[in-house]
Amino acid sequence: MTMTAFTVLLPTLRPWVLPLPLFSGKVAAGFPSPADDYVEKNLDLNELLVQKPAATFFVRAQGESMLGAGIHPDDILVVDRSLEAVPGKIVICALNGELTVKRLAQEKGQWQLNAENPAYADIVIYDDLDLVIWGVVTTVIHAV
Amino acid sequence: MQALIVLADCNNFYVSCERVFRPDLIGKPVVVLSNNDGCVVARSKEVKDLGIKMGVPLFQIQQLVNQHQIQLFSSHYSLYADMSARVMSILEEFAPRLEVYSIDEAFLDLTGVCHQDPVAYGHRIRKAVVRATGIPICVGMGPTKTLAKLANFAAKKWLKTGGVLDLSDPVRREKLMRIVPVGEVWGIGSRTTEKLNQLGIHSVWDLASQSSERIHAQLNIVVARTVMELNGIPCLELQEIAANKQQLVCSRSFSRRLTEYKELSAALAEFCSRAAEKLRKQHSVTGCITVFIRTSPFNTQEPQYQRSATLKLDTATQDTRTLITTANRLLTAIFKTGYGYQKCGVQLSQLQSQSAPGQLELFDFVASGLPTENRPLMAAMDRINQRFPKAVSVAATGFDKSWKPKAERVSPRYTTDWRELVGVK
Repeated sequence: MTMTAFTVLLPTLRPWVLPLPLFSGKVAAGFPSPADDYVEKNLDLNELLVQKPAATFFVRAQGESMLGAGIHPDDILVVDRSLEAVPGKIVICALNGELTVKRLAQEKGQWQLNAENPAYADIVIYDDLDLVIWGVVTTVIHAV
Repeated sequence: MQALIVLADCNNFYVSCERVFRPDLIGKPVVVLSNNDGCVVARSKEVKDLGIKMGVPLFQIQQLVNQHQIQLFSSHYSLYADMSARVMSILEEFAPRLEVYSIDEAFLDLTGVCHQDPVAYGHRIRKAVVRATGIPICVGMGPTKTLAKLANFAAKKWLKTGGVLDLSDPVRREKLMRIVPVGEVWGIGSRTTEKLNQLGIHSVWDLASQSSERIHAQLNIVVARTVMELNGIPCLELQEIAANKQQLVCSRSFSRRLTEYKELSAALAEFCSRAAEKLRKQHSVTGCITVFIRTSPFNTQEPQYQRSATLKLDTATQDTRTLITTANRLLTAIFKTGYGYQKCGVQLSQLQSQSAPGQLELFDFVASGLPTENRPLMAAMDRINQRFPKAVSVAATGFDKSWKPKAERVSPRYTTDWRELVGVK
C-alpha cells in the first residue's frame, strides 16, 4: 500500500478581515521600501528629560537671577526631587517659604545659594535661615 | 519566618499635597474642604490642635478661620491623584508586593526583605518618599495588617518614634496595646466599640487577650479575626489587584438650591454619564439604578424632603442613554415641586462583567422603549472624551451648568496643566 502525502487547505475563518501591519512600507513601482526593516520607534522627549517620573516636576522660572545659567523668565525647568543636592548643582529651594532657583555652592565650608547674574546678591546660608531643598534642576526648556 | 507587613500612610495627605507647592504654608493652619466647599475633609496638625474636627461644616468654624487665618482649599482631586500615584510608585521600589489601600495608604509585604533591621528600612522608605514627592509619611510594621495599622497609628501619634514603628516584638506590642483605646483598632467602628465596652473590653490589650472563639460567639467573625490579627496571626491577605467596584455612586451638592424638574434632570443626566463612563472603564454592566434627591439637612428652616427610587433592569446595561432614560423615569416618580433641592445622585448596583451572559436582545429594547445598547458608539464617545475632555455628551445633560458645585479655593493645576506650573524666582 502506498501513502500519498497531502495537505488540507482550509479557508480562513473570517475571510473579510485581513490584518495588516501598521508600518507597512508603500510599495513604489513594485519595490519595497529599503527602510522597512529599520522601523524602531519614535523619539520621546520624556525619555530624554525625565529619569524618574515619580520624582520629576516642571516649574516655571520667574525673574532674571539665573540668566548666566541660561535660565530666562518663563522658561520651564525640569526638576528631579530624587537627586542629591550637591555643590555645583542648580537647585530649587524653599527660602523663607518662597520657591527660588539658585546654584548651590560651598565656599570654605560655608554653604551658599549663588545667583548667576551680577545684579543679584548671593545668599549665605546661616542657621537662622528657613531653607529646604526642594529639588535639583536637570534641564531648562527655553523657547527661542 | 514571621511575616512583616508595612502600612505606609501619608500625613494629612491633601494638606501635604497643597503644601508641596506652597512651602509658605508649612507650619501654618490649613484646611481642605469637601466638594462644594461644604465641610472639612483634611486638616493640618495646627488645625487639629485647634480642636477642629473632621467633617464639620465650614460655617460652623468660620470664626476660628478668621481668628487664626486658617488657609482654606477646595478639594483638588486631580492634584491629589497625581501625587498619590507618585507616592505609590516610590513605595513599589521597596517591596515585591504592594496593595494600594486608599489614595494615601498602601500595605507592603516585606517578609524576608529586611530581616536585619526593619526599622532602619522603614526610615529609608520614609526618606525616599518625602524626598521624591515632598509628602511626609509614617510607616507602621507588624506581622499582620491589623498590627501594621496599629503601629502606624502610634507612629503618627508619638513623635518620639520618628514616624516609624515596628510591632513585631510581642513585649513592645503589649506595652502599646495597654494604653490605646480599642476603638483605634482597624475595623472596630463606634458601634462595635460600644458593644466591646459593655463586655468590659476597653483597651486594645483587653481585646487582644480575648479568645477569638468567645468574640466570634459574642460579636462576629470579623472581630474574631481582628483578635487573631492582633496576636500576630495573619487572617487578611494582601490584595495586589484592585477589585472592581461592586457599586458606583455619582452625586453632588449643588452650589444653589434647584427647584425645577428640568434642572435636576440635567444634573442627573450628567451623573449618569459619569457613572456610565466609570462602568465602561471597568468593563462592567449594571442591573439596577437608584436615583435620590434631597433638600439640605443643615437648613431646618426650609421644608424637608428626601426620596429615592430604584429600578431593576431586565437586562444589564452600560449605555449612557439607557441610564439617563431610566434615571429620568425614576426622577418623575419622586420629584415634587415646592422644595429647594440641595443634592441628587445616581447609584448603580448589581454590577457584573460586560462579558457575562444574558445581554439584551434587540427586540427587548424595542419592547422596553429604551435605546438599543450601542457599545461601539459608547466606546467612541469615551475615546473622544479622553483626548478632548468633555467634548461629547448626551444632550440631556444640558448647557446650563450653574448648579455645579462651588470650588472657589482650588489651587492651580501644578502637575496637570502647563499654564499653571508653580513659579520659582
